[in-house]
Amino acid sequence: MSLFAWLRPAAPPLDDALRQRLAGLPKAKPPGVCSLREQRWVVLDLETSGLNPNRDQVLSIGAVAIEDGAIDFAQQFERTLHRPEQKTNASVLIHGLGPSALAAGCDPAEALLELLEFIGDSPVLAFHAPFDQRMLARALKESLGHRLQLPFLDVAELAPMLNPDTVLREAGLDDWVTHFGLQVDERHHASADAQVTAELALILFSQARRQQLDSPLQLEQRLGGWRRRKAHHHGF
Amino acid sequence: MSKKDAYSQAGRTAVLQNIQGTLQFLQRFPPFNQMEQSHLAFLVEQCQLRFYASGESIIKPTDGPVEHFYIVKQGRVVGERQHLVKPGVETTFEITGGECFPLAALLGERATRTEHLAGEDTFCLQLNKAAFIRLFSMSEVFRDFALRGVSSLLDQVNQQVRQRAAENLGTQYSLNTPLGELAMRHPVVCAPDTPLREAVRMMHEQQVGSIVVVDPQRHPLGIFTLRDLRQVVAAADSDLGAPIEQNMTAKPFYLSPQASAFDAAMAMTERHIAHVCLVDNQRLCGVVSERDLFSLQRVDLVHLARTIRHAPRLDSLVQLRGEIGQLVERMLAHGASSTQITQIITLLNDHTVCRVIELAIAERGDPGVPFSWLCFGSEGRREQTLHTDQDNGILFEATDDAEAEAIRARLLPLAQYINQCLAQCGFTLCKGNVMAGNPELCLSRAQWARRFASFVREASPENLLGSSIYFDLRVVWGDEQGCEQLRRQLLEQVADNRIFQRMLADNALRQRPPVGRLREFVLTRQGNDKAATLDLKVQGLTPFVDGARLLALANGIGACNTLERLRQLVDKGVIEALDGAAYEEAYHFIQQTRMQQHQRQTRDNLPYSNRLDPDSLNHLDRRILRESLRQAQRLQSSLALRYQL
Repeated sequence: MSLFAWLRPAAPPLDDALRQRLAGLPKAKPPGVCSLREQRWVVLDLETSGLNPNRDQVLSIGAVAIEDGAIDFAQQFERTLHRPEQKTNASVLIHGLGPSALAAGCDPAEALLELLEFIGDSPVLAFHAPFDQRMLARALKESLGHRLQLPFLDVAELAPMLNPDTVLREAGLDDWVTHFGLQVDERHHASADAQVTAELALILFSQARRQQLDSPLQLEQRLGGWRRRKAHHHGF
Repeated sequence: MSKKDAYSQAGRTAVLQNIQGTLQFLQRFPPFNQMEQSHLAFLVEQCQLRFYASGESIIKPTDGPVEHFYIVKQGRVVGERQHLVKPGVETTFEITGGECFPLAALLGERATRTEHLAGEDTFCLQLNKAAFIRLFSMSEVFRDFALRGVSSLLDQVNQQVRQRAAENLGTQYSLNTPLGELAMRHPVVCAPDTPLREAVRMMHEQQVGSIVVVDPQRHPLGIFTLRDLRQVVAAADSDLGAPIEQNMTAKPFYLSPQASAFDAAMAMTERHIAHVCLVDNQRLCGVVSERDLFSLQRVDLVHLARTIRHAPRLDSLVQLRGEIGQLVERMLAHGASSTQITQIITLLNDHTVCRVIELAIAERGDPGVPFSWLCFGSEGRREQTLHTDQDNGILFEATDDAEAEAIRARLLPLAQYINQCLAQCGFTLCKGNVMAGNPELCLSRAQWARRFASFVREASPENLLGSSIYFDLRVVWGDEQGCEQLRRQLLEQVADNRIFQRMLADNALRQRPPVGRLREFVLTRQGNDKAATLDLKVQGLTPFVDGARLLALANGIGACNTLERLRQLVDKGVIEALDGAAYEEAYHFIQQTRMQQHQRQTRDNLPYSNRLDPDSLNHLDRRILRESLRQAQRLQSSLALRYQL
């Protein structure tokens, strides 16, 4: 046992059914060499109580599947989590999830497990993926004692990498949505944000194919090079 | 999945945010706005959203039978078809947000005939064939839409027109109603030897204004109406015991019960009769009276025509002009099409012109030489709207130019007076002086023939312009023989002159329909206008009018009316039936849009204008207008091909 084990919160007690389902999850796979169209993707968006990944909580989850190169409306994931302890703070103005919605939400452990089942072994796409990745990792640890191993790809990186001529400084999702003329029903709702991020991803995949990047692996490798050049360029 | 499962499935997913969002998007467009929520939710839930970069192929003929139904969510899809005879492709249609494709291929279980490409970056909702079929069987609205395609959209437009107009008037009655449905009572009949007194007693008992005299097989021999009774009573020597056949109007006019209320109204107006017999298989089956037609709807066309024809003075004609405007409004309300309305306006205008000529002759004295009053341009084509200029001339017979000169000198003062009188009746004086009072347009038949021959021989710009006005001619008043001779000669000359045809074709391509490849409409701003607009007449109707005139003249067709020309061109095999029908529908719609605009302008006390801001139309109308203009473009490209321009 690690010396610091006592500092961590104890793994939550899980009933057998949950444990069995956790054990039944497919093993995460690194980005593969199949074509972008053959790869099933899950686009994820989390609404949280704030921007601090160490303290804030996941309040709701929206996820959209891209299969056979298209957003499949039959595969939509949408859960609001039961967070009775969540005090109303300024973030309610953004995500609009008031105390009553959160009280009516579903059990976080159950919801997170369902999310993992929904994702399966698909790579995850998100806008500003590192944030969603850290928030989700902590929530999984706290609610399920599960370590997040799924590969994440950041749409906020893919977009400028594939559009080098487009100068958008510190571009947020809204900037790219405007740039590509996408229509959004309702922003800052986890599902709607996942949906518009997925639409953005479809455009980016189409661009990637035209730049001879037609597999998740190629995309990830190019992204690595792009990050290094960018860091170099900034003189780090 | 059973139907019930499909419903419950749809019910469950309808709450999902993204399904809801797409649902709301679709509900902005027909037919989705009329579908049941659960059916729509089923559709969305079965959909995939796919992205196509600009230029990317979505479906093409070589893909084999179509496997998906598509709805454009965002962007634009264009249809491109290979030219049959020359290399390259033509854009045959454009599909934008909320529109679907490829219905015909999907229902026909065949490949598409047209390659569908993304005209710009485009998102499409894609529904697989199995789900499409399920939806097709579940939703009646969807089925109706899929089966009838664009024509169901046109129906919706017509319904809207009727509703909008009906709101102003508060009645719902269609001029397209078959007469059989209007003739509610059994007609009152008698044998030809029935004494007059007996017949009138029957009319009185049954409270009807007419009695039909029939033979034993119920074939109508004559009709006796209250108007005839008035004459009988007025005559001093009348014998009420005489058989009715001595006083009836023999061989009464009749129509089939399938003919429309509009047909009956036109017949009554033209013939000045108040009763039309309905005859099916040689047997009388009903009588429709003026009152049957108009008590329901107050569109008193017949009465108005009669009043015009018998107007005692010019100023009474001037007053009647206002009633024509009201009549048009009511006709629109009762579902009359633009063609029916232009026909009615032309008919009433013809009556007015005739009456003006008669009154002018009575006032100024008979010039003592027979002459025919000609009209040209839209009046010649019977396509007049309320907003109309004078385009007229005079044709007379003369043995030589010297005699022609003498006759002209006698006719010109009368012609000029008639022009002035017509101006008072609301026919604006022609700025180009295309009027009978102009000595150059008051010609003998030989002089007209020379003039027309020079138009065909020497193709100067003025002559081309002239031919586009003068070659749509007809007689409004006077003998029609001379004009028909003139027309026959003209058709022979044009048929022989390929160069002239080519010049006309070139001329017909000058006005390009305002639809672009990139934008919905190509609009221009006039002066200080706030909104950019297009010209419904010059850019929308003129391409059809010019194209139909050229093809008619080149193929020996004497008709002047654009739609009539198109129909005869189809009959002669010059244009394909499907194309002809599409041109007709498109022409119709543009004309209808134009007339509605004119009516609105009258109501708002604005000057007449043919310029339209497409954004002022609703979504459906805008879409059909665009398709209609695209048909004009197709007609033009077929001319360009035919004449190698």
